[in-house]
Amino acid sequence: MNERPEAIGLTGQIQARELIRFEHMEKIYDTGAIQVTALRDVNLTIEQGEFVAIMGQSGSGKSTLMNIIGCLDRPTSGKYYLEGLDIGERSADELSLIRNKKIGFVFQSFNLIPRTSALKNVELPMTYARMPFHERHRRAMELLRKVDLGDRMEHMPNELSGGQKQRVAIARALANDPPILLADEPTGNLDSVSSMEIMELFKALNGEGVTVILVTHENEIAAFARRVIRFRDGMTVSDETGGGKHAVL
Amino acid sequence: MLFFENVKMAILAIRINKMRSFLTMLGIIIGISAVISIVSIGDSMRGVIADQFESIGVNRAMMYVSFVEDRRESDLFTLDEMEKVREAFSREIVAMDPGSSEDAELTRGRKTLQVTLEGVPGNYSEVQPVDLVDGRMINESDLAAGRNYVVLKKETAVELFGKAEAAGETIRAEVAGEPEDLMVVGVYEKEATPLDALFMGSMPAAYVPYTSLVHPGDYFFALNFYIADDIDPELFKNQIVGLVSRMKNRAADQISYNSAQEEMSMADNIMQGMSLAVGAIAAISLLVGGIGIMNIMLVSVTERTREIGIRKALGARTRDILVQFLTESALLSAAGGVIGTLLGIGFVMIGGAIAKIDVVIDPMVVIVAVAFSAIVGVLFGILPASKAAKADPIEALRYE
Repeated sequence: MNERPEAIGLTGQIQARELIRFEHMEKIYDTGAIQVTALRDVNLTIEQGEFVAIMGQSGSGKSTLMNIIGCLDRPTSGKYYLEGLDIGERSADELSLIRNKKIGFVFQSFNLIPRTSALKNVELPMTYARMPFHERHRRAMELLRKVDLGDRMEHMPNELSGGQKQRVAIARALANDPPILLADEPTGNLDSVSSMEIMELFKALNGEGVTVILVTHENEIAAFARRVIRFRDGMTVSDETGGGKHAVL
Repeated sequence: MLFFENVKMAILAIRINKMRSFLTMLGIIIGISAVISIVSIGDSMRGVIADQFESIGVNRAMMYVSFVEDRRESDLFTLDEMEKVREAFSREIVAMDPGSSEDAELTRGRKTLQVTLEGVPGNYSEVQPVDLVDGRMINESDLAAGRNYVVLKKETAVELFGKAEAAGETIRAEVAGEPEDLMVVGVYEKEATPLDALFMGSMPAAYVPYTSLVHPGDYFFALNFYIADDIDPELFKNQIVGLVSRMKNRAADQISYNSAQEEMSMADNIMQGMSLAVGAIAAISLLVGGIGIMNIMLVSVTERTREIGIRKALGARTRDILVQFLTESALLSAAGGVIGTLLGIGFVMIGGAIAKIDVVIDPMVVIVAVAFSAIVGVLFGILPASKAAKADPIEALRYE
């Protein structure tokens, strides 16, 4: 991983650099008959190197926020700046490019491409980044070794356990060296042992300077984060920094 | 740079559903093989027809007084009249005869055989290739002397004499109920395909001087002649029809003039038109094949909605997804096109070998057929691919 000297956050000497900023951001779904306000007046700043958990019940708007942070969706009103870039004004293809370079997705249901080897799955974001074959091949192998899957590179997703699948997904998320790792209930489909392994991996990656944003409803998982933002009815109800398992370390 | 990746992904997707891919290709396979075999059969038949005309003489023409109501004896020709016409066009007409032929029964010992005696001019071998295996061909002096000479076909000679070297032998012929002794002066050979037999009738031809069939004072129906290569056929036709109509006191449109050249190009046009028309009908099956591909690609896009969502989340642009699915449908269709081409060529080759015909496969037709199938694939792939490319990543990721 590249060094990110400005984001050595573990010691508390945060040299703040703003990564994400929401200003009066709203998301309204217009289903024709009725308008559903999923997010209202969200004002939030996330800095580089943070480990943030976004919590809330289903329907609280946390998934919508996740989609917007991940540039899969755009705000209805207000502003979303990602590394100073106004996301609201980007075209669908520009958003694809931003996702490709800036966001590493980790999903609850792994979302590996079926019948495609772990290696090919990890190569995919680099393929879309038009990286030459040898370079992406080499990097994909390096990433799989990093997540301890050096002996499973040619395995198909259906030949891997849940924990292994999620590690492939994390390797894939890191492919283009994005500043943000965005994980949506990453342990939702895993047993407790695998869950802890995955969370330790996130923690280690955060230690290397990657900003980790975690969406979860489990307190145990959220406890890994240094900052916990709670949502209810589309609004932030609390935003606490400190504590978590980082403090224990 | 994504081209090879797309081809690899497309091959993978096609291989995962082998049975389905094959059935999808079937429409294209049948369409392309039908188009190629039909057009090739048409082209081959044109070749066969050209060969047939070649064997009776491309420069050959025939004229006679049409079947008019007030038919009279003077509508028929005599050898003197034929000679006048020949002298008037000594440069344009290379060879000329009364177009006479007569069925005859040849007897030697206890063997009898039916043949057709063809009355030929003395320079027949100059206008039509004759492949002699023994002796010589009928010549001018045979004609002038009205000699009862005959040139037999090899099979006839072998049947009657037990050998092909029959020159010098004599046989008894019964022509129009009258017995005559004929001396064999030569034996010729002619390869015949099953199709030739179909066109030419079953009786072997034997050549005799036309003077032995048509005698001075006899009337005959038509003038049969071979035109020189270096003349204007239209001009010559007008001139000779003019002469004969004056000679026979008939209007020019009452004189029939049939040239092999004209008939050949007519038959050729008909064949070409027919194979084009049938080929066009076969091409409709390509359209049906294309719709089959579109259908399966739509199913495939729906099945892979989630995959499309993942790809988009990972940074695939609209165009990336579009090209991925277009590549798949084009490859599916082009593979069908290649298989169909091989099958079509195979059919035509086998058919040609059975019928002993020289098969004509126009490379242009093959290129057009395969290109057309790939175009069909792309064209009918556009709808499913754009459906895939336009998918909303959030919706697609939620798809179960």
